[in-house]
Amino acid sequence: MKYLMLIYGNQEKWNSILGESWPEEIAKQEAFNTKYRETGELLGAYGLADAVQAKLIRRQGGAPAITDGPYLETKEYIASFYLLDCESAERAEQIAADMPWADREPVEVWPILHESPEP
Amino acid sequence: MSRPVASLDRAAEDLLRELAPQVLGALVRRYGHFDLCEDATQEALLAAALQWPADGQPANPRGWLITVASRRLLDQARHEQSRRRREDQVAVATPHAELLGPAADAGPGTGRDDSLALLFGCCHPALSAPSQIALTLRAVGGLTTAQIAAAFLVPEATMAQRISRAKRTIKDSGIPLTLPAGPEFAQRRAAVLHTLYLIFNEGYVSSSGQQLTTPALSGEAIRLGRWLHRLLPDDAEVAGLLALMLLTDARRAARTRPDGSLVPLEEQDRRRWDQALIAEGTSLLTAALPRGDPGPYQLQAAIAAVHDEAADMDSTDWPQILGLYELLEQLAPNPMTTLNRAVAVGRVHGPAAGLGVLAALQPDRRLSSHHRFYATRAHLLEQAGDASAAVADYRAAARRATSLPERQYLAAQAHRLAAVTG
Repeated sequence: MKYLMLIYGNQEKWNSILGESWPEEIAKQEAFNTKYRETGELLGAYGLADAVQAKLIRRQGGAPAITDGPYLETKEYIASFYLLDCESAERAEQIAADMPWADREPVEVWPILHESPEP
Repeated sequence: MSRPVASLDRAAEDLLRELAPQVLGALVRRYGHFDLCEDATQEALLAAALQWPADGQPANPRGWLITVASRRLLDQARHEQSRRRREDQVAVATPHAELLGPAADAGPGTGRDDSLALLFGCCHPALSAPSQIALTLRAVGGLTTAQIAAAFLVPEATMAQRISRAKRTIKDSGIPLTLPAGPEFAQRRAAVLHTLYLIFNEGYVSSSGQQLTTPALSGEAIRLGRWLHRLLPDDAEVAGLLALMLLTDARRAARTRPDGSLVPLEEQDRRRWDQALIAEGTSLLTAALPRGDPGPYQLQAAIAAVHDEAADMDSTDWPQILGLYELLEQLAPNPMTTLNRAVAVGRVHGPAAGLGVLAALQPDRRLSSHHRFYATRAHLLEQAGDASAAVADYRAAARRATSLPERQYLAAQAHRLAAVTG
Protein backbone atom coordinates (compact mmCIF):
# COMPACT_ATOMS: atom_id res chain seq x y z
CA MET A 1 0.00 0.00 0.00
CA LYS A 2 1.34 3.39 -0.96
CA TYR A 3 1.27 6.52 1.19
CA LEU A 4 2.09 10.17 0.64
CA MET A 5 3.79 12.09 3.45
CA LEU A 6 3.63 15.86 3.33
CA ILE A 7 5.31 18.51 5.39
CA TYR A 8 4.28 22.13 5.29
CA GLY A 9 6.07 25.34 6.05
CA ASN A 10 6.81 28.91 5.01
CA GLN A 11 9.86 31.13 4.69
CA GLU A 12 9.51 32.49 8.19
CA LYS A 13 9.62 29.04 9.64
CA TRP A 14 12.65 28.06 7.58
CA ASN A 15 14.40 31.28 8.62
CA SER A 16 13.87 30.43 12.25
CA ILE A 17 15.52 27.02 11.87
CA LEU A 18 18.06 27.80 9.19
CA GLY A 19 21.51 29.19 9.71
CA GLU A 20 24.15 27.14 11.43
CA SER A 21 22.09 24.07 12.10
CA TRP A 22 20.94 23.75 8.49
CA PRO A 23 23.62 21.27 7.30
CA GLU A 24 22.90 19.19 10.37
CA GLU A 25 19.17 19.20 9.66
CA ILE A 26 19.77 18.22 6.04
CA ALA A 27 22.05 15.41 7.15
CA LYS A 28 19.36 14.10 9.50
CA GLN A 29 16.84 14.15 6.70
CA GLU A 30 19.24 12.40 4.33
CA ALA A 31 19.91 9.76 6.98
CA PHE A 32 16.15 9.20 7.22
CA ASN A 33 15.86 8.96 3.43
CA THR A 34 18.73 6.46 3.20
CA LYS A 35 17.32 4.35 6.00
CA TYR A 36 13.95 3.89 4.35
CA ARG A 37 15.29 3.58 0.82
CA GLU A 38 17.27 0.63 2.10
CA THR A 39 14.23 -1.03 3.60
CA GLY A 40 12.59 -0.63 0.19
CA GLU A 41 9.81 1.49 1.69
CA LEU A 42 10.75 4.98 0.49
CA LEU A 43 10.06 5.33 -3.21
CA GLY A 44 11.03 8.99 -3.48
CA ALA A 45 11.62 12.17 -1.50
CA TYR A 46 11.05 15.56 -3.09
CA GLY A 47 11.59 19.12 -1.84
CA LEU A 48 9.61 21.89 -3.49
CA ALA A 49 10.82 25.33 -4.58
CA ASP A 50 9.52 28.41 -2.81
CA ALA A 51 5.86 29.27 -3.26
CA VAL A 52 6.75 32.39 -5.29
CA GLN A 53 7.77 29.95 -8.03
CA ALA A 54 4.40 28.21 -8.11
CA LYS A 55 2.17 29.01 -11.07
CA LEU A 56 -1.45 28.40 -11.85
CA ILE A 57 -2.05 27.17 -15.36
CA ARG A 58 -5.40 27.27 -17.10
CA ARG A 59 -6.41 26.75 -20.67
CA GLN A 60 -8.41 29.66 -22.06
CA GLY A 61 -9.65 29.52 -25.64
CA GLY A 62 -7.27 26.64 -26.30
CA ALA A 63 -4.20 28.56 -25.15
CA PRO A 64 -2.39 28.30 -21.83
CA ALA A 65 -2.98 31.17 -19.41
CA ILE A 66 -0.44 31.40 -16.61
CA THR A 67 -0.81 33.31 -13.38
CA ASP A 68 1.02 33.30 -10.07
CA GLY A 69 -0.37 30.83 -7.62
CA PRO A 70 -2.76 31.90 -4.89
CA TYR A 71 -0.59 29.96 -2.52
CA LEU A 72 1.17 33.12 -1.35
CA GLU A 73 -2.02 33.99 0.47
CA THR A 74 -1.91 30.82 2.53
CA LYS A 75 0.16 30.77 5.68
CA GLU A 76 1.89 27.50 4.99
CA TYR A 77 2.40 25.56 1.82
CA ILE A 78 3.77 22.14 0.89
CA ALA A 79 7.51 22.08 1.46
CA SER A 80 8.31 18.51 0.59
CA PHE A 81 6.67 15.20 -0.12
CA TYR A 82 7.64 11.58 0.28
CA LEU A 83 6.26 8.55 -1.45
CA LEU A 84 6.13 5.37 0.65
CA ASP A 85 5.22 1.80 -0.13
CA CYS A 86 4.80 -0.19 3.04
CA GLU A 87 2.91 -3.03 4.63
CA SER A 88 0.23 -1.18 6.57
CA ALA A 89 -1.13 2.16 7.74
CA GLU A 90 0.48 1.46 11.11
CA ARG A 91 3.87 1.11 9.45
CA ALA A 92 3.37 4.37 7.49
CA GLU A 93 2.53 6.14 10.76
CA GLN A 94 5.64 4.67 12.37
CA ILE A 95 7.82 5.95 9.50
CA ALA A 96 6.21 9.40 9.65
CA ALA A 97 6.94 9.60 13.37
CA ASP A 98 10.57 8.86 12.54
CA MET A 99 10.85 11.99 10.34
CA PRO A 100 13.57 14.20 11.87
CA TRP A 101 11.24 17.14 12.46
CA ALA A 102 8.23 15.17 13.59
CA ASP A 103 8.88 16.29 17.17
CA ARG A 104 8.34 19.91 16.06
CA GLU A 105 6.00 19.83 13.09
CA PRO A 106 3.31 17.32 12.18
CA VAL A 107 3.67 15.15 9.11
CA GLU A 108 0.58 14.51 7.04
CA VAL A 109 0.06 10.91 5.92
CA TRP A 110 -2.35 10.19 3.08
CA PRO A 111 -3.14 6.70 1.81
CA ILE A 112 -2.85 6.56 -1.98
CA LEU A 113 -6.02 5.12 -3.43
CA HIS A 114 -5.09 4.64 -7.02
CA GLU A 115 -2.09 4.61 -9.29
CA SER A 116 -2.27 4.65 -13.05
CA PRO A 117 -0.55 1.44 -14.10
CA GLU A 118 2.24 1.44 -16.65
CA PRO A 119 1.02 0.79 -20.17
CA MET B 1 17.61 -7.70 -14.45
CA SER B 2 14.86 -8.43 -16.91
CA ARG B 3 14.68 -11.61 -18.89
CA PRO B 4 13.85 -11.29 -22.58
CA VAL B 5 10.70 -13.32 -22.09
CA ALA B 6 9.36 -12.65 -25.56
CA SER B 7 12.18 -14.56 -27.24
CA LEU B 8 11.30 -17.70 -25.33
CA ASP B 9 8.17 -19.63 -26.11
CA ARG B 10 5.58 -20.06 -23.43
CA ALA B 11 6.40 -23.70 -22.71
CA ALA B 12 10.10 -22.97 -22.27
CA GLU B 13 9.35 -20.01 -20.00
CA ASP B 14 7.04 -22.20 -17.90
CA LEU B 15 9.73 -24.87 -17.72
CA LEU B 16 12.34 -22.36 -16.56
CA ARG B 17 10.08 -21.08 -13.80
CA GLU B 18 9.25 -24.66 -12.79
CA LEU B 19 12.94 -25.52 -12.59
CA ALA B 20 14.05 -22.31 -10.83
CA PRO B 21 13.38 -23.50 -7.25
CA GLN B 22 14.82 -26.96 -7.98
CA VAL B 23 18.05 -25.45 -9.28
CA LEU B 24 18.35 -22.98 -6.43
CA GLY B 25 17.45 -25.65 -3.89
CA ALA B 26 20.11 -28.01 -5.22
CA LEU B 27 22.73 -25.25 -5.20
CA VAL B 28 21.93 -24.16 -1.66
CA ARG B 29 22.10 -27.73 -0.40
CA ARG B 30 25.51 -28.25 -2.00
CA TYR B 31 27.17 -24.94 -1.36
CA GLY B 32 25.20 -23.04 1.24
CA HIS B 33 25.27 -19.26 0.71
CA PHE B 34 21.65 -18.69 -0.21
CA ASP B 35 22.28 -15.12 -1.38
CA LEU B 36 25.09 -16.05 -3.79
CA CYS B 37 23.21 -19.11 -5.07
CA GLU B 38 20.13 -17.01 -5.70
CA ASP B 39 22.08 -14.56 -7.88
CA ALA B 40 23.75 -17.43 -9.72
CA THR B 41 20.38 -19.11 -10.39
CA GLN B 42 18.92 -15.90 -11.81
CA GLU B 43 21.95 -15.59 -14.08
CA ALA B 44 21.55 -19.17 -15.25
CA LEU B 45 17.87 -18.50 -16.05
CA LEU B 46 18.91 -15.44 -18.03
CA ALA B 47 21.53 -17.45 -19.91
CA ALA B 48 18.91 -20.08 -20.74
CA ALA B 49 16.48 -17.45 -22.00
CA LEU B 50 19.21 -16.10 -24.29
CA GLN B 51 20.73 -19.37 -25.49
CA TRP B 52 17.90 -21.86 -25.73
CA PRO B 53 15.96 -20.08 -28.49
CA ALA B 54 19.15 -20.01 -30.60
CA ASP B 55 20.83 -23.31 -29.66
CA GLY B 56 17.79 -25.37 -28.83
CA GLN B 57 16.71 -26.69 -25.46
CA PRO B 58 19.27 -28.98 -23.84
CA ALA B 59 18.37 -32.64 -23.28
CA ASN B 60 18.56 -32.20 -19.52
CA PRO B 61 17.40 -28.63 -18.85
CA ARG B 62 17.65 -28.98 -15.09
CA GLY B 63 21.21 -30.31 -15.24
CA TRP B 64 22.12 -27.58 -17.72
CA LEU B 65 20.84 -24.87 -15.37
CA ILE B 66 22.56 -26.37 -12.32
CA THR B 67 25.83 -26.59 -14.24
CA VAL B 68 25.65 -23.02 -15.51
CA ALA B 69 24.59 -21.66 -12.11
CA SER B 70 27.39 -23.61 -10.39
CA ARG B 71 29.93 -22.15 -12.81
CA ARG B 72 28.67 -18.65 -12.10
CA LEU B 73 28.91 -19.35 -8.42
CA LEU B 74 32.44 -20.63 -8.81
CA ASP B 75 33.46 -17.65 -10.96
CA GLN B 76 32.06 -15.33 -8.38
CA ALA B 77 33.73 -17.16 -5.54
CA ARG B 78 37.10 -17.01 -7.35
CA HIS B 79 36.61 -13.35 -8.02
CA GLU B 80 35.75 -12.70 -4.40
CA GLN B 81 38.68 -14.74 -3.23
CA SER B 82 41.25 -13.02 -5.37
CA ARG B 83 39.83 -9.69 -4.29
CA ARG B 84 39.54 -10.28 -0.60
CA ARG B 85 41.12 -13.65 0.05
CA ARG B 86 37.94 -14.81 1.56
CA GLU B 87 38.20 -18.29 2.93
CA ASP B 88 34.61 -19.01 3.59
CA GLN B 89 33.49 -19.65 0.05
CA VAL B 90 32.46 -23.26 0.08
CA ALA B 91 32.24 -23.31 -3.67
CA VAL B 92 35.98 -22.91 -4.04
CA ALA B 93 36.57 -26.08 -2.10
CA THR B 94 34.20 -27.99 -4.33
CA PRO B 95 35.92 -30.26 -6.84
CA HIS B 96 35.73 -28.76 -10.27
CA ALA B 97 34.56 -32.01 -11.81
CA GLU B 98 31.53 -32.07 -9.58
CA LEU B 99 30.50 -28.67 -10.81
CA LEU B 100 30.92 -29.39 -14.49
CA GLY B 101 29.57 -32.92 -14.53
CA PRO B 102 25.91 -33.63 -15.13
CA ALA B 103 23.75 -32.97 -12.14
CA ALA B 104 24.34 -35.82 -9.75
CA ASP B 105 20.79 -35.62 -8.52
CA ALA B 106 19.10 -35.29 -11.88
CA GLY B 107 16.97 -38.36 -11.35
CA PRO B 108 13.20 -38.14 -11.31
CA GLY B 109 11.49 -37.07 -8.12
CA THR B 110 14.58 -35.54 -6.58
CA GLY B 111 14.67 -31.91 -5.67
CA ARG B 112 11.40 -32.17 -3.80
CA ASP B 113 12.89 -31.51 -0.37
CA ASP B 114 15.26 -28.87 -1.75
CA SER B 115 12.40 -26.96 -3.30
CA LEU B 116 10.24 -27.28 -0.21
CA ALA B 117 13.10 -26.20 2.05
CA LEU B 118 13.58 -23.17 -0.16
CA LEU B 119 9.92 -22.18 0.04
CA PHE B 120 9.87 -22.69 3.80
CA GLY B 121 13.04 -20.59 4.14
CA CYS B 122 11.54 -17.74 2.10
CA CYS B 123 8.62 -17.66 4.54
CA HIS B 124 10.76 -17.56 7.66
CA PRO B 125 9.25 -15.44 10.47
CA ALA B 126 12.41 -13.25 10.60
CA LEU B 127 11.23 -11.74 7.28
CA SER B 128 8.42 -9.20 7.00
CA ALA B 129 5.38 -10.18 4.96
CA PRO B 130 6.37 -8.01 1.94
CA SER B 131 9.86 -9.55 2.03
CA GLN B 132 8.46 -13.09 2.22
CA ILE B 133 6.28 -12.37 -0.79
CA ALA B 134 9.04 -10.77 -2.86
CA LEU B 135 11.54 -13.48 -2.06
CA THR B 136 9.09 -16.31 -2.68
CA LEU B 137 8.19 -14.87 -6.09
CA ARG B 138 11.84 -14.55 -7.07
CA ALA B 139 13.50 -17.60 -5.51
CA VAL B 140 10.62 -20.06 -5.82
CA GLY B 141 8.54 -18.48 -8.56
CA GLY B 142 11.53 -17.71 -10.76
CA LEU B 143 10.22 -14.22 -11.58
CA THR B 144 12.69 -11.44 -12.26
CA THR B 145 12.91 -8.45 -9.97
CA ALA B 146 11.51 -6.31 -12.79
CA GLN B 147 8.47 -8.55 -13.14
CA ILE B 148 7.78 -8.53 -9.40
CA ALA B 149 8.24 -4.74 -9.24
CA ALA B 150 5.82 -4.28 -12.14
CA ALA B 151 3.24 -6.52 -10.49
CA PHE B 152 3.37 -4.47 -7.28
CA LEU B 153 3.67 -1.12 -9.12
CA VAL B 154 6.88 -0.13 -7.37
CA PRO B 155 10.14 0.97 -9.01
CA GLU B 156 12.50 -1.89 -9.80
CA ALA B 157 15.14 -0.34 -7.53
CA THR B 158 12.74 -0.47 -4.61
CA MET B 159 11.94 -4.13 -5.20
CA ALA B 160 15.65 -4.90 -5.64
CA GLN B 161 16.31 -3.32 -2.23
CA ARG B 162 13.53 -5.33 -0.67
CA ILE B 163 14.87 -8.59 -2.10
CA SER B 164 18.51 -7.93 -1.26
CA ARG B 165 17.53 -6.95 2.25
CA ALA B 166 15.55 -10.17 2.64
CA LYS B 167 18.53 -12.16 1.39
CA ARG B 168 20.81 -10.34 3.81
CA THR B 169 18.41 -11.14 6.66
CA ILE B 170 18.53 -14.82 5.75
CA LYS B 171 22.32 -14.68 5.59
CA ASP B 172 22.79 -12.68 8.80
CA SER B 173 20.34 -14.57 10.93
CA GLY B 174 21.70 -17.91 9.79
CA ILE B 175 18.29 -19.20 8.84
CA PRO B 176 18.85 -22.81 7.85
CA LEU B 177 17.42 -23.62 4.46
CA THR B 178 16.35 -27.05 5.51
CA LEU B 179 12.88 -28.37 6.17
CA PRO B 180 11.88 -27.73 9.78
CA ALA B 181 10.66 -30.73 11.73
CA GLY B 182 7.92 -31.36 14.29
CA PRO B 183 5.70 -28.51 15.48
CA GLU B 184 7.86 -25.97 13.65
CA PHE B 185 6.95 -27.62 10.37
CA ALA B 186 3.26 -26.98 11.02
CA GLN B 187 3.91 -23.35 12.03
CA ARG B 188 6.04 -22.62 9.01
CA ARG B 189 3.61 -24.42 6.72
CA ALA B 190 0.97 -21.99 7.96
CA ALA B 191 3.28 -19.07 7.06
CA VAL B 192 3.87 -20.56 3.61
CA LEU B 193 0.15 -20.93 2.94
CA HIS B 194 -0.46 -17.39 4.20
CA THR B 195 2.21 -16.00 1.85
CA LEU B 196 0.68 -17.76 -1.15
CA TYR B 197 -2.75 -16.50 -0.15
CA LEU B 198 -1.44 -12.91 0.17
CA ILE B 199 0.07 -13.17 -3.32
CA PHE B 200 -3.25 -14.45 -4.63
CA ASN B 201 -5.23 -11.66 -2.97
CA GLU B 202 -2.86 -8.97 -4.16
CA GLY B 203 -3.57 -10.11 -7.69
CA TYR B 204 -7.27 -10.57 -7.08
CA VAL B 205 -8.01 -7.25 -5.40
CA SER B 206 -5.83 -4.95 -7.48
CA SER B 207 -7.14 -6.18 -10.80
CA SER B 208 -6.46 -2.97 -12.69
CA GLY B 209 -4.26 -3.24 -15.78
CA GLN B 210 -1.59 -5.83 -15.21
CA GLN B 211 1.17 -5.73 -17.77
CA LEU B 212 0.69 -8.47 -20.30
CA THR B 213 4.28 -9.62 -19.94
CA THR B 214 3.89 -9.78 -16.17
CA PRO B 215 2.31 -13.00 -15.02
CA ALA B 216 -0.68 -11.91 -12.97
CA LEU B 217 -0.09 -12.46 -9.30
CA SER B 218 -3.21 -14.59 -8.79
CA GLY B 219 -2.13 -16.88 -11.59
CA GLU B 220 1.31 -17.13 -10.05
CA ALA B 221 -0.14 -17.97 -6.62
CA ILE B 222 -2.28 -20.70 -8.21
CA ARG B 223 0.73 -22.06 -10.08
CA LEU B 224 2.74 -22.20 -6.84
CA GLY B 225 -0.28 -23.72 -5.07
CA ARG B 226 -0.52 -26.49 -7.68
CA TRP B 227 3.20 -27.07 -7.36
CA LEU B 228 3.01 -27.26 -3.56
CA HIS B 229 0.04 -29.62 -3.79
CA ARG B 230 2.10 -31.93 -6.02
CA LEU B 231 4.92 -31.88 -3.45
CA LEU B 232 2.59 -32.40 -0.47
CA PRO B 233 -0.33 -34.36 -1.96
CA ASP B 234 -1.54 -35.64 1.42
CA ASP B 235 -1.75 -32.22 3.04
CA ALA B 236 -5.44 -31.34 3.23
CA GLU B 237 -4.86 -27.63 3.98
CA VAL B 238 -2.57 -27.26 0.96
CA ALA B 239 -5.37 -28.77 -1.11
CA GLY B 240 -7.81 -26.47 0.70
CA LEU B 241 -5.83 -23.35 -0.17
CA LEU B 242 -5.49 -24.38 -3.80
CA ALA B 243 -9.22 -25.12 -3.94
CA LEU B 244 -10.02 -21.74 -2.36
CA MET B 245 -7.89 -19.90 -4.91
CA LEU B 246 -9.40 -21.81 -7.84
CA LEU B 247 -12.99 -21.38 -6.63
CA THR B 248 -12.42 -17.65 -6.10
CA ASP B 249 -10.51 -17.09 -9.33
CA ALA B 250 -13.33 -18.83 -11.22
CA ARG B 251 -15.45 -15.67 -10.77
CA ARG B 252 -12.81 -13.28 -12.10
CA ALA B 253 -14.40 -12.60 -15.49
CA ALA B 254 -17.75 -11.74 -13.88
CA ARG B 255 -16.26 -9.66 -11.11
CA THR B 256 -15.43 -6.48 -13.01
CA ARG B 257 -17.04 -4.59 -15.86
CA PRO B 258 -14.99 -3.56 -18.90
CA ASP B 259 -14.54 -0.10 -17.33
CA GLY B 260 -12.93 -1.70 -14.28
CA SER B 261 -15.87 -1.14 -11.95
CA LEU B 262 -16.75 -3.80 -9.42
CA VAL B 263 -19.68 -6.21 -9.75
CA PRO B 264 -20.90 -7.50 -6.36
CA LEU B 265 -21.57 -11.22 -6.01
CA GLU B 266 -25.34 -10.84 -6.23
CA GLU B 267 -25.16 -8.98 -9.55
CA GLN B 268 -22.56 -11.18 -11.22
CA ASP B 269 -23.46 -13.00 -14.42
CA ARG B 270 -22.86 -16.51 -13.15
CA ARG B 271 -22.76 -17.93 -16.67
CA ARG B 272 -19.38 -16.24 -16.95
CA TRP B 273 -17.91 -18.17 -14.03
CA ASP B 274 -15.19 -20.59 -15.11
CA GLN B 275 -16.74 -24.04 -14.71
CA ALA B 276 -13.44 -25.85 -15.28
CA LEU B 277 -11.84 -24.03 -12.32
CA ILE B 278 -14.94 -24.68 -10.20
CA ALA B 279 -14.83 -28.38 -11.03
CA GLU B 280 -11.12 -28.60 -10.24
CA GLY B 281 -11.52 -26.73 -6.94
CA THR B 282 -14.56 -28.77 -5.93
CA SER B 283 -12.88 -32.10 -6.61
CA LEU B 284 -9.78 -31.05 -4.63
CA LEU B 285 -12.01 -30.09 -1.75
CA THR B 286 -14.11 -33.25 -1.97
CA ALA B 287 -10.95 -35.31 -1.69
CA ALA B 288 -9.54 -33.24 1.18
CA LEU B 289 -12.54 -32.79 3.47
CA PRO B 290 -13.09 -36.47 4.44
CA ARG B 291 -9.64 -36.46 6.08
CA GLY B 292 -11.37 -34.73 8.98
CA ASP B 293 -10.66 -31.64 11.09
CA PRO B 294 -10.82 -29.23 8.15
CA GLY B 295 -8.54 -26.21 8.57
CA PRO B 296 -9.43 -22.59 7.77
CA TYR B 297 -8.51 -22.80 4.08
CA GLN B 298 -10.72 -25.86 3.54
CA LEU B 299 -13.59 -24.10 5.32
CA GLN B 300 -13.20 -20.97 3.22
CA ALA B 301 -12.97 -23.11 0.09
CA ALA B 302 -16.15 -24.91 1.16
CA ILE B 303 -17.93 -21.54 1.50
CA ALA B 304 -16.69 -20.49 -1.95
CA ALA B 305 -17.90 -23.84 -3.34
CA VAL B 306 -21.42 -23.33 -1.92
CA HIS B 307 -21.57 -19.93 -3.64
CA ASP B 308 -20.15 -21.32 -6.87
CA GLU B 309 -22.73 -24.10 -7.15
CA ALA B 310 -25.73 -21.80 -6.61
CA ALA B 311 -27.67 -20.36 -9.55
CA ASP B 312 -28.23 -17.06 -7.75
CA MET B 313 -28.13 -15.35 -4.35
CA ASP B 314 -31.60 -16.50 -3.29
CA SER B 315 -31.09 -20.17 -4.07
CA THR B 316 -27.74 -20.18 -2.26
CA ASP B 317 -27.58 -22.56 0.68
CA TRP B 318 -27.19 -19.80 3.27
CA PRO B 319 -27.74 -22.04 6.32
CA GLN B 320 -24.77 -24.13 5.19
CA ILE B 321 -22.67 -21.00 4.65
CA LEU B 322 -23.63 -19.75 8.10
CA GLY B 323 -22.61 -23.08 9.64
CA LEU B 324 -19.26 -22.94 7.86
CA TYR B 325 -18.62 -19.37 9.03
CA GLU B 326 -19.44 -20.42 12.60
CA LEU B 327 -16.89 -23.22 12.36
CA LEU B 328 -14.34 -20.86 10.82
CA GLU B 329 -14.88 -18.28 13.53
CA GLN B 330 -14.26 -20.87 16.25
CA LEU B 331 -11.17 -22.17 14.51
CA ALA B 332 -9.57 -18.87 13.51
CA PRO B 333 -11.31 -15.93 15.21
CA ASN B 334 -11.00 -12.83 13.06
CA PRO B 335 -13.23 -9.74 12.85
CA MET B 336 -13.47 -10.12 9.05
CA THR B 337 -14.90 -13.61 9.52
CA THR B 338 -17.44 -12.24 11.99
CA LEU B 339 -18.37 -9.62 9.40
CA ASN B 340 -19.00 -12.35 6.86
CA ARG B 341 -20.98 -14.33 9.41
CA ALA B 342 -23.15 -11.24 9.96
CA VAL B 343 -24.02 -11.28 6.25
CA ALA B 344 -24.95 -14.97 6.46
CA VAL B 345 -26.98 -14.39 9.63
CA GLY B 346 -28.78 -11.59 7.79
CA ARG B 347 -29.68 -14.01 4.98
CA VAL B 348 -30.82 -16.81 7.28
CA HIS B 349 -32.43 -14.96 10.20
CA GLY B 350 -33.16 -11.54 8.70
CA PRO B 351 -31.29 -8.21 8.58
CA ALA B 352 -32.06 -7.27 12.20
CA ALA B 353 -30.23 -10.38 13.42
CA GLY B 354 -27.29 -9.55 11.13
CA LEU B 355 -27.14 -6.02 12.56
CA GLY B 356 -27.12 -7.56 16.03
CA VAL B 357 -23.91 -9.43 15.15
CA LEU B 358 -22.34 -6.17 13.93
CA ALA B 359 -23.36 -4.29 17.08
CA ALA B 360 -21.30 -6.77 19.11
CA LEU B 361 -18.32 -6.09 16.85
CA GLN B 362 -18.36 -2.32 17.11
CA PRO B 363 -15.87 -1.92 19.97
CA ASP B 364 -13.20 -3.45 17.73
CA ARG B 365 -11.45 -0.28 16.57
CA ARG B 366 -9.39 -2.09 13.96
CA LEU B 367 -12.58 -3.12 12.24
CA SER B 368 -14.83 -0.14 12.89
CA SER B 369 -12.53 2.10 10.86
CA HIS B 370 -12.58 -0.40 7.99
CA HIS B 371 -14.75 0.23 4.94
CA ARG B 372 -16.09 -3.32 4.93
CA PHE B 373 -17.68 -2.83 8.32
CA TYR B 374 -19.68 0.16 7.04
CA ALA B 375 -20.42 -1.47 3.70
CA THR B 376 -21.81 -4.58 5.40
CA ARG B 377 -23.87 -2.55 7.85
CA ALA B 378 -25.15 -0.33 5.03
CA HIS B 379 -26.32 -3.41 3.16
CA LEU B 380 -28.11 -4.84 6.20
CA LEU B 381 -29.64 -1.45 7.06
CA GLU B 382 -30.93 -1.14 3.51
CA GLN B 383 -32.52 -4.60 3.71
CA ALA B 384 -34.03 -3.66 7.06
CA GLY B 385 -35.62 -0.61 5.40
CA ASP B 386 -33.58 2.09 7.13
CA ALA B 387 -32.56 3.90 3.95
CA SER B 388 -31.18 7.09 5.45
CA ALA B 389 -28.89 5.24 7.86
CA ALA B 390 -27.84 2.99 4.98
CA VAL B 391 -26.92 6.01 2.82
CA ALA B 392 -24.80 7.41 5.64
CA ASP B 393 -23.00 4.08 6.03
CA TYR B 394 -22.43 3.67 2.29
CA ARG B 395 -20.84 7.14 2.30
CA ALA B 396 -18.75 6.30 5.36
CA ALA B 397 -17.64 3.09 3.63
CA ALA B 398 -16.77 4.93 0.39
CA ARG B 399 -14.59 7.39 2.28
CA ARG B 400 -12.65 4.54 3.87
CA ALA B 401 -12.26 2.32 0.81
CA THR B 402 -8.69 1.55 -0.15
CA SER B 403 -9.16 0.86 -3.83
CA LEU B 404 -10.72 3.05 -6.47
CA PRO B 405 -13.20 0.49 -7.89
CA GLU B 406 -14.46 -0.23 -4.38
CA ARG B 407 -14.82 3.45 -3.56
CA GLN B 408 -16.71 4.10 -6.77
CA TYR B 409 -18.99 1.15 -6.18
CA LEU B 410 -19.82 2.27 -2.63
CA ALA B 411 -20.32 5.90 -3.64
CA ALA B 412 -22.68 4.72 -6.39
CA GLN B 413 -24.67 2.69 -3.85
CA ALA B 414 -25.03 5.78 -1.63
CA HIS B 415 -26.06 7.84 -4.64
CA ARG B 416 -28.61 5.26 -5.85
CA LEU B 417 -30.26 4.91 -2.46
CA ALA B 418 -30.24 8.66 -1.74
CA ALA B 419 -31.98 9.26 -5.09
CA VAL B 420 -34.71 6.74 -4.23
CA THR B 421 -35.35 8.12 -0.78
CA GLY B 422 -35.14 11.72 -1.95
